[in-house]
Amino acid sequence: MLPEGYTQVETTVRAVLADVLGLSAERVAGFTATTPLFGALPELDSMAVAGVLTEIEDRLGILIEDDEVDGDMLETFGALVEFAAGKALV
Amino acid sequence: MAPRIDHYDWSGGREALLRFGPDDGPVAILVLPLFEEANRTRTFAVGLLRRLAERGVASLLPDVPGQGESLIPLADLTRSRMAEALEALTDRCLDEGRRTYAVGIRSGMLLDHCALHSGRWHLCPQDGDALLRDLHRTWRAAGNTGSPEMMIHGEDTVEIAGNILSRDLLTSFSATTSFDQPRVPRRIVRLASDPAPAHRHIDAAPLWRRAEPGDAPDLADTLAADIADWIATCEA
Repeated sequence: MLPEGYTQVETTVRAVLADVLGLSAERVAGFTATTPLFGALPELDSMAVAGVLTEIEDRLGILIEDDEVDGDMLETFGALVEFAAGKALV
Repeated sequence: MAPRIDHYDWSGGREALLRFGPDDGPVAILVLPLFEEANRTRTFAVGLLRRLAERGVASLLPDVPGQGESLIPLADLTRSRMAEALEALTDRCLDEGRRTYAVGIRSGMLLDHCALHSGRWHLCPQDGDALLRDLHRTWRAAGNTGSPEMMIHGEDTVEIAGNILSRDLLTSFSATTSFDQPRVPRRIVRLASDPAPAHRHIDAAPLWRRAEPGDAPDLADTLAADIADWIATCEA
C-alpha cells in the first residue's frame, strides 16, 4: 500500500526531471520505477543532478543533506521517487 | 525596435547596459540572477524587456560589475559593491527626472537594496542562503568534498561553474534577503511549482535550472504584461 501523497511526489519528481533536463512530457510520462537515470540519461550529468535535487527540495519543501546523495538514490526513477517520498511524507 | 547599447559609470568604473523602449518616463532596471543562472536567463530577460518596450515601458539591462562583459574581476567584488554600482545607475535616472523600478530575477533581487527605487518586482526571489546552498551543491558536483564553510573559507578564491568567487564575495551574501520596507511597493511573482507565498503564481518551467540555456517566450509575454500593469498602478 503506497502512503498518502506518494503519487503527488512521483508527479513532482517527473516534472522536475522534465523541466531541469529539458525532456519532453511524453518522455518522462513513460518513466517507470525501473527506468534507469544516472548513467543512462545523457542529460543527467553531475551538474544537472545538483539542479534536479535543488528543484525537488524547493517544490517539496524538503532539505536533502549532501551525505544522503549517492548513486543508489539516482539509479532509477523509482529510487529517486522513494527517496523524495521518504523525506516529504513524514 | 532593437535595444540600444549604452554604458553607465560608477565609482569602480564603467559598465555596459542595454536600453529598451522610450527615453522618458519611468524605467525598469532588470538585474539578472548572479553567476551561472545569469547565462541561463539572459536571452529570456532580453525578450521580456523587448515585450515591455512594445507596451511603451522603458527598461535597462545593466551589466553588474564582475558579470556579463564587465572587466572587473568577480573575485574583487562584494554584494555591497555590486549594489553600489546599480545605485549609481538609478541616481543617473533620477537626475534625468525618471523614476526607477527594480525588476529582480532570482538572486538578482539581492542587489537592489541601495538604490532609491519607486518599487521592486521580484521573480522567484532567491535569498542569500539559498544562493550559497546552490553554489555549494554545484561545487560538490564538480568533485569537491566538504561543508559550505570549507567551500567559503578553504581557499582565498574558489571556482564554481567557471566563476572565480572570493571569500569576501561569498560571505557578503550570507543571511541576506530582499529589501522590503513599508510604503515601497513590492510585488512577488513565482512559478506554480513553487509553494512559497507570492502575489501571483504562473504555470511555467524554471529556465534558470535548465542544464542548457533556453528561452520561454510565453512566460516573457505574461511577465511583461504583469510588470507593465504593476508599474502603471504604482505610477497612478
